[in-house]
Amino acid sequence: MTAVTGPRAQDARYWLASHRGPILAAALFLAMFAVFVTEHPAGLSGNVVNTAANKGALLALVAVAQTIPVLTAGLDLSVGSVFVMTNCLASTVVTGTPREVGLGVALVVVVGVACGALNGLVVVVGRLQPIIATLATGAMYQGIALWLRPAPGGEIDEDFADFVTGSLGDVIPFSIVVLIAAVVVIWVPYRRSVLGRAAYAIGSSEQAAYMSGVPIARAKFLAYVLAGLFAALAGLLLTCVTYSGEANALLGGSYTLSSIAAVVVGGTSLYGGSGGAIGTIFGAFVLRTIGDLLFVFDIDPLSQPLFLGVVLLISVSLGSFRLLRVKKRLDLYR
Amino acid sequence: MDRLNLIRLIRRPIWRLGRPAIVGASLVFVFVAIAFAAGPDTVQGPGAAPDCFKPWGKDTKFYQWKKKPGPYRIALDNGFIGNTWRIQMIKTAKAYAEQPEVKAKLKEFKVISTGEDLPAQIAAANNLIDAGYDAVIVNALNPAAFAPVAKKAKKAGVVLLSFDNVIESTDNIVINVDQVELGRLAARWLLKEVKTPGGKLLEVRGPSGNSVDRDRHTGFHEVLGKSGKKFEVVEVIGKWDDGTAQKATADAIAVHKKFDGIYVQGGSTGTVRALLDSKHPMIPISGETENGFRKLCAQNAAKGLHCSSAGTGPAQVAVTIKAAIAALEGEKVPQSISLPASYVEYPNIKEGSDFYPALSDNFFVGNSFPGCKIGLSAEEIMGKSEANQ
Repeated sequence: MTAVTGPRAQDARYWLASHRGPILAAALFLAMFAVFVTEHPAGLSGNVVNTAANKGALLALVAVAQTIPVLTAGLDLSVGSVFVMTNCLASTVVTGTPREVGLGVALVVVVGVACGALNGLVVVVGRLQPIIATLATGAMYQGIALWLRPAPGGEIDEDFADFVTGSLGDVIPFSIVVLIAAVVVIWVPYRRSVLGRAAYAIGSSEQAAYMSGVPIARAKFLAYVLAGLFAALAGLLLTCVTYSGEANALLGGSYTLSSIAAVVVGGTSLYGGSGGAIGTIFGAFVLRTIGDLLFVFDIDPLSQPLFLGVVLLISVSLGSFRLLRVKKRLDLYR
Repeated sequence: MDRLNLIRLIRRPIWRLGRPAIVGASLVFVFVAIAFAAGPDTVQGPGAAPDCFKPWGKDTKFYQWKKKPGPYRIALDNGFIGNTWRIQMIKTAKAYAEQPEVKAKLKEFKVISTGEDLPAQIAAANNLIDAGYDAVIVNALNPAAFAPVAKKAKKAGVVLLSFDNVIESTDNIVINVDQVELGRLAARWLLKEVKTPGGKLLEVRGPSGNSVDRDRHTGFHEVLGKSGKKFEVVEVIGKWDDGTAQKATADAIAVHKKFDGIYVQGGSTGTVRALLDSKHPMIPISGETENGFRKLCAQNAAKGLHCSSAGTGPAQVAVTIKAAIAALEGEKVPQSISLPASYVEYPNIKEGSDFYPALSDNFFVGNSFPGCKIGLSAEEIMGKSEANQ
């Protein structure tokens, strides 16, 4: 602590230390994306950015949904299923007159919130382990998705979909605007609210939080509700990207797993209590850009899963460098 | 809808370029002209190479793009790559692209496999269109989800084609396999081979809920039903997999003791093995185009095993590439192409052309489309790696 020269420098150091995850993830993403754009035949064009943004925003929204329960030391295995189910729902209801489209969007969001609320109830009132509870509810949501859309198809208002997946002035992808809006309007106020801070407290130590009078039940419930909300936004975006819906269990499963990976790459601890949505968003973009690297580097298809796994392992390891500096070894086993 | 598109097209450049009305107007004019030049013209048939590009139905439209100067850049956007069919498909695509007369027309042939992630496959297709490929070929993860891609390709003047798992949109050329006809073909051959006026048939079906399984099943029963003969059909599920089909067949033989004929949709090698293991008398089997199946058929032909082998193997990708080149050369191409089946029956199953003893049982042998002048030997295909290029 001898290097500390004043309160301001100390503040900066603390700020850096507490934001190491997001900063690392952002740096990793920028480096990968720079490589991708330089190697891409079309270079940094509006279309290339738009394609990458739509693909990244999908996973980013699902991963933000995952982040909030993870902060409370929980896990939501149903985010992928809610994502797929809201996709199937949106491919049915988001069509017709502008008024009907608006109502359809609202319905999709409400259904997502309802799914999250059910998860929250099962976890909080039913006192089941989140991982088991959401595994079960996730299977239910997948079943509803299949019931809504037994075969791929459906439709969505094309003007609405083109607007959502398009770019403002051919430069700024609208999906990025949605993502920023979600952070500014939902995440930041949540992070600063009592229930948001309570989520971090629960993740750090539920007993201590309980003894301190933190509203544990409400905070956990809200965490799952928000997860449902973000997953529904992702489902809506997927419908816009595909003009259709499909009850694809594989897709839901892969998004659930990728969302957990994005959370970790973004610097959020799976033990709860530290991290946040912004790191997760960059984590999701890192994961998606790994796939883009396959596009420009011509890697043997049979080696692609191996390549993805190695890059993922390296990314996760980067997020765990702090462990090398832990003074009390017992903390490693928390 | 077209009017809305037009309004959007007209509005965009003005918005971006600001006031000067004359510049704006002339740019709008150029933009609109390009937009109209980009898509294909709908024309009257017949199209090019009618023996190869057979229109799907009487109302199938024909498309004609403006002839582009070669050589062309063509890309294949594949979804998952987890089975031998897909791996062989990619090897076949590369082998075909390497054939001298094809190679002369291609500047680049790129293959991408994105795995089972639908948004990733859509993004890859968008990237290929943006990267300026002349034609993009898709084996789609989901038939309904590529309409936005088709729209984008049309706008960009890129020829979009799909095969195997096709894109449900009239804005792309689809290479379809008439799966119902394959079922009919099997039934017709069995009716010819089974001399009795009735009896018991075994039908080894594919994965439940799959449209190919449904279509082949429908065609098979349609012909049987019309034949006037009384057949009892025992249905088991073999999932197009040798192990599963072998077990399902063995169980069925154990329970029913005697069959008069078998139709197996896939996993045919396993079905024949089960038949041989059970010491069941030799009966006619109609199966897919696996190398192992034809090997067993040839070995046991003298003992009275009669086989027919039909399918549309991974080589349909070669027909798709041929269609892409035809479209780029300004030929008339049907929007929906019915792929000819690759077919051989007893006693014509010949070593070296219809099956290859040295190759694995999983190799799909139906790689010849005489109508398309496409005949890839096993050596040409297996010599290619499945690497992206």
